[in-house]
Amino acid sequence: MRDARIVSRRFDIPQIHTIEVARNHGAYEKLHWAFALSSDEIITMIHESGLRGKGGGGAPAGDKWSLMPLNDSRPSYLVVNCDESEPGTFKDRQIIVKDPHLLIEGIILTCYAINAHHAYIYIRGEYAPFQQILQTAIDEAYRAGYLGASADGSDFALDITIHRGAGAYICGEKSALLESMEGKRGHPRLKPKQKECEWYFGNPTLVNNVETIASVPFIVYDGPMAYRAFGTAKSPGTLLFAISGHVERPGVYEAEFGVSMMEYINRFGGGIKGGKKLKAVIPGGASTAVLTAEEAAGATLDYETLQSMRSALGTGGMIVMDEDTDMVEALKNLLEFYRHESCGQCTPCREGTGWSDIIVHNILEGTASSTDIDRLLQLSRTMNGQTICVFAPAVSMVIDSFISKFRDEFEAKLRKDL
Amino acid sequence: MSQVTITVDAQDYRVEEGSLLIEVLIQNGIKIPYFCYHEALGADGNCRMCMVEIEGQKRPQIACDTIVKEGMGVRTKGENINGVRQRILELELINHPVDCPVCDQAGECKLQDFYMDYGLYDSHIDMRQKIHGKKHVDLGSNVMLDQERCVLCARCTRFTADVTKTHELGIIGRGDHARVSTMPGRKLENPYAMNVVDLCPVGALTSKDFRFHQRVWFLKSTPSVCHGCAMGCNIFIDHNKAKYKEDTIYRFRPRRNDAVNGHFICDAGRLSYKALQENRQKEFELGGDSCTEQEALEAVKTAILEAQNITILIDANLYNEEIERIIVFASGIGATVLCPSDCYYDESFGDTWLKKPWRAANIEYINRTEIEHRLPEGSVDLLISFNHPSSKTVDSRLKIIFATHQGHKADILLPISLFSESSGSLTNIHGMTQHCEKAVEGEAPDLIRLVDMIEGEL
Repeated sequence: MRDARIVSRRFDIPQIHTIEVARNHGAYEKLHWAFALSSDEIITMIHESGLRGKGGGGAPAGDKWSLMPLNDSRPSYLVVNCDESEPGTFKDRQIIVKDPHLLIEGIILTCYAINAHHAYIYIRGEYAPFQQILQTAIDEAYRAGYLGASADGSDFALDITIHRGAGAYICGEKSALLESMEGKRGHPRLKPKQKECEWYFGNPTLVNNVETIASVPFIVYDGPMAYRAFGTAKSPGTLLFAISGHVERPGVYEAEFGVSMMEYINRFGGGIKGGKKLKAVIPGGASTAVLTAEEAAGATLDYETLQSMRSALGTGGMIVMDEDTDMVEALKNLLEFYRHESCGQCTPCREGTGWSDIIVHNILEGTASSTDIDRLLQLSRTMNGQTICVFAPAVSMVIDSFISKFRDEFEAKLRKDL
Repeated sequence: MSQVTITVDAQDYRVEEGSLLIEVLIQNGIKIPYFCYHEALGADGNCRMCMVEIEGQKRPQIACDTIVKEGMGVRTKGENINGVRQRILELELINHPVDCPVCDQAGECKLQDFYMDYGLYDSHIDMRQKIHGKKHVDLGSNVMLDQERCVLCARCTRFTADVTKTHELGIIGRGDHARVSTMPGRKLENPYAMNVVDLCPVGALTSKDFRFHQRVWFLKSTPSVCHGCAMGCNIFIDHNKAKYKEDTIYRFRPRRNDAVNGHFICDAGRLSYKALQENRQKEFELGGDSCTEQEALEAVKTAILEAQNITILIDANLYNEEIERIIVFASGIGATVLCPSDCYYDESFGDTWLKKPWRAANIEYINRTEIEHRLPEGSVDLLISFNHPSSKTVDSRLKIIFATHQGHKADILLPISLFSESSGSLTNIHGMTQHCEKAVEGEAPDLIRLVDMIEGEL
């Protein structure tokens, strides 16, 4: 496995979060060069790089950018999604804490390309200390003239505002995020009938994940082909994969797409904690289907492979579970999270997350009957594909994978006389 | 708008292009269950009950978020789609208390109706594990909330957000702990607040004024028009005559008329049924003592024949037909007809929506006649008042009052029926003439019949 560091390449430099150190290491250096390019040229670069959204969905970023109208009478906005709250996912905060100027530079380039003069960073409320670091960096960038009425001496004006969320997982869903930013309850919006950009107070808006935006400077300065040098044909580039759970060295380590999952776990994570055997891996944040140890052995970290295994790459935040893990307890842990975080808008999700949590509770308590496992599967089918957003389908995928792959553990806990 | 053809359950329909599928289904009388959609509030897409199958789509779709297209094939029936609705309805009911026997909504509850169609009839839920909410939350403006019965369709919150724009109601909490609530420190307080009770498809929001008074299946609904002001909002009069009791009105409900009031009425109009039934004038009176109808009519005849001059005051709440009849009667006896109207005008009552400062249902019809809006000038010998509120301010030698309610002082007092006890038409402030049906069987005589009899005596 070769080194592949694009977003994290300056992470280890001491004090890189300050503008002086960042500038000494190349931050903002080539902005004036980028300002000589046209919007179309930058958007074409993003298209050619094959950059995919790094918030979990993996949609091609260039397609999303192309949906933004460039000559609209209304103002355009960029919203950077930093509502990182998927269990097992803690990569965006690394960018904010370690190299905030990389993010700011990415925002400047993106806004220039989509002709937006105001960017918002929607940050989850719990990230208050990280927000301080980010705000300090933004203030520094204003003072240094990279932000404000004339960015880096050009005639391009740009403001960045941090918007704090109030700690709802669902606000990471882009339309719920915008509802929240508009001062409303964070409820996902009904999907539009055709492909279109997002809307913030009725104005065209682009919503991208922190890491996606932080990848933009590399693509613009080093060229799309340099980005494509990493990863696979369909999943080009790198991702700040994260690893947590039963490993020796949990953390965030950047790697290119397509590397072997086990190799990643062993090299970066230092192998399974205490030399135990692997039982299961949740590959990309809690909302992806769990993989058994056998599946994990054959998995590579790219969108296509994991999709073919009926799971998903998601955010790339792997949760590793060793042989002593109780899978029923593990599912209960996840379901408590979903029950707490369902926004409560659609009936199947609002009531389904609660009921599935109750059923698994009953299984753990030994009060469940033999029909309850199938009832749980039936419930999970009802939650799949019948709601506004993909929250409930994700829960459904989690329940299905846990039961289908570890059914014997669930059955062992059933009350035998029922 | 151009038309497109869609197929619903193997039958073709010509429908307007771009309309919502759920609207098309409702307009064509095709059965479709839904909670959150409402014609006045639009689609919200949260209840997920209006699932239909659309040809070419892998999964069932909600009809309230589907726009009709040429050649669209829709299936609203069948084992598959019924199963989907059944399982979603099961989830709606999972934390519902199923307290229908003591719920005021029973009989007009969408949950009950849909359960009859899509119920499981075999509960899979341990009753002890249901989540409980507050059963009696006084939201204000006579609206009571039972959190356990709520299906979170958000019709009420959307009403206060989008229609009244007063924003008192919101949803707090998440997931299965989400609840409708007022904003902290605020009450539901706007002149149209009680409409949320009608909007609520289940028993979560009930009216403090109506609940526990009558089971809805005993009520008869008669279409009528509100008499609270000159707007002429369309209503249903819900009434019932229980054994050994008088035919009683239990509530007014808005009746949809897009040309007048849309789907709603104001709370003042809604509650005006109460004063209507209180302190009714039931007896004929001569000099303050009760008498028979015949004695009263005799006295009226004598008074008219002996009068030097006659002034008639006419209430601007009477029906067009009654006003016309009185005008004919007046010209026959040479009387001047007046309608002093200052007493009907209340600036503070009016708003920019439904509430008009003219608090008389038929003031516009009076405007369209020769009747002047002033008090009589000079000395009046005989005053005949047809329920006019200003009768007592006029001095006259002799006073005859036809009254619906008590509180009048007159030499001859004749009871007359209420608008709910007879039929007729009204012309609202925008010049629209609307018909009111007779709802309640009353004891007091009809005004036109009395006038006919008096004229016959002369």
